[in-house]
Amino acid sequence: ADEAKMAKGLEIFNETAVCAACHVLKAAGSEGNVGPNLDTVAVTTESVTDIVTNGLGVMPAFGEDEILTKEEIEAVVYFVVNSAGK
Amino acid sequence: MKKSKNTPNLNRRNFLAGTASVAGLAATASVVPITFANANHTDGSKGLPDFINWKNRDALIVHSDKGIETHRSAIGEGLITPNANVYIRNNMPTMSDAQIGDRNNWKVSFEGVNNPKSFTLAELKAMGTTTIATVLQCSGNGRGFFEHGPSGSQWQTGAAACVFWTGIPVKTLVDACGGISSGANFMTSAGVDHEPTGLAPKDAMVERSVPKKVYEDALLAWDMNGVPLPNSHGGPLRMITPGYFGINNVKHLGKVAFTADESQVKFMKSSYRISPIGKKGSEYPTCWEMPVKSWITRPTDETGTVKAGKVQIVGVAFGGTRKVKSVKVSVDGGNKWQKAKFIGPDLGKFAWRQFVLETTLSAGTYNIASLASNGKDKQPELRMENRRGYAHNGWKDHSVNITVV
Repeated sequence: ADEAKMAKGLEIFNETAVCAACHVLKAAGSEGNVGPNLDTVAVTTESVTDIVTNGLGVMPAFGEDEILTKEEIEAVVYFVVNSAGK
Repeated sequence: MKKSKNTPNLNRRNFLAGTASVAGLAATASVVPITFANANHTDGSKGLPDFINWKNRDALIVHSDKGIETHRSAIGEGLITPNANVYIRNNMPTMSDAQIGDRNNWKVSFEGVNNPKSFTLAELKAMGTTTIATVLQCSGNGRGFFEHGPSGSQWQTGAAACVFWTGIPVKTLVDACGGISSGANFMTSAGVDHEPTGLAPKDAMVERSVPKKVYEDALLAWDMNGVPLPNSHGGPLRMITPGYFGINNVKHLGKVAFTADESQVKFMKSSYRISPIGKKGSEYPTCWEMPVKSWITRPTDETGTVKAGKVQIVGVAFGGTRKVKSVKVSVDGGNKWQKAKFIGPDLGKFAWRQFVLETTLSAGTYNIASLASNGKDKQPELRMENRRGYAHNGWKDHSVNITVV
């Protein structure tokens, strides 16, 4: 995995978008319990990009509502897909 | 908090203390972290989350810690689905015993009535009681069959169950409150399970409006299949809207209001809208009445090869808000249909019926399908394409391939 991209994705996960508040992801040290535990779900670049961009249920539409830029979404998706379940 | 660590070891305490942007989520301190139990399971891939470690792992497919469905073959041998086999789909974390407190003191308020009142669970139990059987089904049951890959749990048939609910009819409580206020068009039910998360109610409160008439069938349930309603299924009190999709059966119920307009929260306004692929918006219909549906539960591709000779083809069928009237079964992919026989007791129009077709099959492969009718509508052959993969009742996708030897 691209380390710089992973680091950027982690920062977005824990700080910019605060994904950590709602999701468990061991690689990020997060223990949020609103959304699914990301270490337990099947993640693909396509599915995570869709959900982060358009939202799902209580999850905000980070792309559509312009909370994150396209580049930030790409980085956080890269981080999640390459670290979930590991 | 350190930014851009390559090998982070960020615990929640640091996370909460060090991140200003999380201040609005301060109440996440009460959010319970999930830890996985070493559950008894056969596939060796995933255990069950602690909050439902009492469930029957062998009967379940785990999509995530919050999305767990019943195997097709674990439904239908009994008419009622045992609690340990019932699917889990939670929009908010299940409330803990500590968050709920004394169950008898749980409160629900009634508004939009002539004399607004609040009742404790103990008071409700003294005011009336009855039992009904209903099909509880997630709006997205069958999503896994959609070819455009809608996001969300990839449910096949098992985000559904037939359950006995014991509680008090909403009608009894409406009468106790002097009737519904004039101008009401909807019954709007709100859960309180968002409160421990600290998230804004407009984003996170599960508040659902259904047409006002639903109150005549609705029940506030405190008991599920003979045991106190488990927290994971919305205990200690849940709104039951018979014939309506699961989301309208609001868990951890705190308020029932008769309102002129639909709720404006996200779960009503934008989620659960049945829109064309590529489109979304509150102008599209919400997930309310369930359409007529059926599926085969035995034999299936999960149950292995079938011995040639006499075969019992078994399944479940329900009519949504109308009583299911008939089921036909095909063993050749829908070319020819034979009438199946209903078996077991009729638990009312909101429950499902078991059906069976006894037939003789020689060695070969078969596509077996079922097609139910409620007298007004029958299952279509194909799914109704929609963005989120809701309300699938097409018979073709729900058919199963079996091998007879």
